[in-house]
Amino acid sequence: MRYYARKLGFYLVALWAALTLNFFIPRMMPGNPVDTLMAKLQQRGGTVDPAARRSYELLLGADTGEPLIIQYFAYLGNMLRGDLGVSVSVFPAEVSSVIGQALPWTLVLVGLATLLSFALGIVLGAVVGWRRGSWLDSLVPATTVLAAVPYFWLALILVAVFATALGWFPLQGGYDVVLTPGWNTGFLGSAVYHGMLPALTIVLSSVGGWLLGMRNMMVSAMSEDYVLTARAKGLRTTRVMTRYAARNAVLPSLAGFAISLGFVVSGSIITEQVFSYPGIGSKLLQGVQNNDYALMQGIFLVITVAVLGANLVVDLLYGFIDPRTRVET
Amino acid sequence: MHPLIRRTRTRRAASAAVAAAALLVTAACSSDSGGDGGGSGTDADTLVAYTGQAGDYQANFNPYSPTTIEGPGTIFEPLFYFNQARDQEPVPRLGTEFSWNDTGTELSITVREGVQWSDGEPFTAHDVVFTLEMITEHPAMNGTGYSGTAEAIDDTHLVVRFDEPAYMDGPQVLGRIWIVPEHIWGEMSDPATDTVQEPVGTGPFVLDEFKPAAFTLAANPDYWDGEPELKKVRFVALSGNQAGADALKAGTVDWQTGPVPDIHNVEKNYPGYRAITVPLNQIALLSCSSAELGCTGPQTDPAVRQAIYYAMDREQINSLAFENTASEISPGFALPGRDSAVISQNLENPTAPMTADAARSARLLEDAGWTKGGDGIYEKDGERLSLTVSVVTGWTDYITAVDVIGQQLKAAGIEIIPQQTSWNEWSDSRGMGNYQLLIDSLYQGPAPDPFYLYSYFFSTATTAEVGESANPNFARFSDPEVDAALEALKQTDPQDTAARQEHFDLIQTRIEQNMPYIPVLTGGTTSEYHAEKFSGWPTTDDLYAFPAVWARPDHSQIFINLKPAGE
Repeated sequence: MRYYARKLGFYLVALWAALTLNFFIPRMMPGNPVDTLMAKLQQRGGTVDPAARRSYELLLGADTGEPLIIQYFAYLGNMLRGDLGVSVSVFPAEVSSVIGQALPWTLVLVGLATLLSFALGIVLGAVVGWRRGSWLDSLVPATTVLAAVPYFWLALILVAVFATALGWFPLQGGYDVVLTPGWNTGFLGSAVYHGMLPALTIVLSSVGGWLLGMRNMMVSAMSEDYVLTARAKGLRTTRVMTRYAARNAVLPSLAGFAISLGFVVSGSIITEQVFSYPGIGSKLLQGVQNNDYALMQGIFLVITVAVLGANLVVDLLYGFIDPRTRVET
Repeated sequence: MHPLIRRTRTRRAASAAVAAAALLVTAACSSDSGGDGGGSGTDADTLVAYTGQAGDYQANFNPYSPTTIEGPGTIFEPLFYFNQARDQEPVPRLGTEFSWNDTGTELSITVREGVQWSDGEPFTAHDVVFTLEMITEHPAMNGTGYSGTAEAIDDTHLVVRFDEPAYMDGPQVLGRIWIVPEHIWGEMSDPATDTVQEPVGTGPFVLDEFKPAAFTLAANPDYWDGEPELKKVRFVALSGNQAGADALKAGTVDWQTGPVPDIHNVEKNYPGYRAITVPLNQIALLSCSSAELGCTGPQTDPAVRQAIYYAMDREQINSLAFENTASEISPGFALPGRDSAVISQNLENPTAPMTADAARSARLLEDAGWTKGGDGIYEKDGERLSLTVSVVTGWTDYITAVDVIGQQLKAAGIEIIPQQTSWNEWSDSRGMGNYQLLIDSLYQGPAPDPFYLYSYFFSTATTAEVGESANPNFARFSDPEVDAALEALKQTDPQDTAARQEHFDLIQTRIEQNMPYIPVLTGGTTSEYHAEKFSGWPTTDDLYAFPAVWARPDHSQIFINLKPAGE
């Protein structure tokens, strides 16, 4: 029990540290929301009377004049209550509603893509490892190249080929604009269709890592005595491969997978940019570009909690799976 | 000027997308004909507008909110329309007449009779008074600096009183305050933050339907001037300028503002479309000019600023950086064309020389004590004549312009070092004065009158010491004589052109001598519009409104005038 209490305590401290950084780092950025808004309106519409600045300061509450430390404690209090504040860039929308709108898109797209990429990488890795030395080994450099290619470049090439030249997939967006978002087949179908190309780019660029890790673990597992024993017993090859070698080889990858699930929430800023996808990554960019502190903090909070949560789960699971990690030094 | 729109095209890598953005918009157009309340709305009379919106819309139809997505002009009307692109009389909208008393402290306004709000309630002068009182009570809504007190005489007449002569506040009150219905806005708990999901106005259009990726306005059948012939306007969100150009190519966006490649052949490249370029905003190298206010660097020497001014080859800049869409600029910052009548005779150059004058530039520097160093760059007291120029990353035309200017200045013995910075950092250093030079453009005010530009950019009241936020006199220009002239202009009846000219002469000559904003060119705002589908667009001969799709309320003036060609 002490083991779990210590773990939880550690995560609370980590959460506090992350929240504190969330508060201070955005405020170290140059600019402030009001001037950024003014500059943006000037660029867009041309005419902004100097008097507008005062009115926006009042409207956005940017000019509170409170010392930073008081703002900090107010912020901590608000976070505890789950009040993420009001977004400046889409004033007066609540940050929680902005995030709420964007999060499902990211969770589904990046979540499914991560899952798919993991499953594909593990299966291929197991097969490639099992048949090491055969032509299948060429899959390793092939997928690693895809992973090494800058992601945006890969995405742009796929867009140029499949969306622009061939016209198989839509170029951008999360769904067809004429449809009303909701649980209807037209919208869901459109969302799936729009998600395919972004998902494909994520899978292509990340499958190489899983494949490589799995293949190498597979190779070392195959030289273990229990694999030799299994073969000597005359078990079927597929059974030896899946039940004996792969099952042991997959353990380290599983831990990595749990952590990467935590990062799903942070989305994939570049994917969402390239495809104009309405997810959390594009909202984060919007927050940064507009000095929208509340929105940035809200998104960072969600990311932090998700990553810490995923780590916590892994930690607890490890303690469960492997009793050695629970033993005090 | 709208660099945000026109420059973001490079951010979205151009290699993506040739015609596929069309998919989205094609669908948007073709499915419209289904009856959705608008009745007569069909494709032929629906105009699809792209304002540069990237990413989803958040519904906000409060015309006083900085994050409003639509409303001013289309749904909510001003009293008069002031055309900032052409020197013309204000066009009556909800008002019919206005007049000042002799001292400029009392503005009498007559409003239109028989106008109805889109919910059927009658509109009266009391709504105007209510609107003015509302923005007085809620300073967060008072973006125009309104400081008067309004009183309704009867249902069609009202008077606005000011403490001091306020001729120059007229266009703000008359043209930039959007009249809202008292019977609805009077009930709101906080009109400043209300997002007005169901806007009720007097304007030519009403909200038809809203979706995060596009929203539609429909013609108001009860509009006081008759139902507009343009039945629907749909505003779409695309991912950037590239997508906009693609949609133009596919014929699925009818109006957008921003340059497209090969701008001079729009009619050939986009059949059915035409382009119009209107010069409105002056591109300049802003200098942190005042050593007294804390600026440091060689640019605080007026001779250096003058030398840069003469060393530029503007024709080359125009062709290399701006596709020849820019035009001549006056060093007195009155707008050539619109303000030709007020460009001072006392200026040394009524418009800036279009070619470089290296000899003049060298003489200016040498007279000021600069000597040419071994590397061909001038120096003085051991300080090289080397300046940094900030430019926002991704603003390709400005980046090109700065590179071209750099080459030209190098030949004249002046070194400039371009520094690309992020938007936020750039606007922060511009406000705080932490820069030597930066490239930006100066913008006009609510009426066709150079006074506004002068009062924004050349008044001591709008500047600040380095380290404090200036808004928007970023160059830290401060001249008591100019301040006095601006003050005098505020108290002069705009009809008295002779009396005004005296002050304009002084301001322009002082600006030319000091040159805190080094004139480059007058930037053109280019729009592409579907001339085959709709007639009645503004042209350079009949510039009845500033034709930029994001310019509110100018766009509403254009929507009223458009006629679908298919009928």
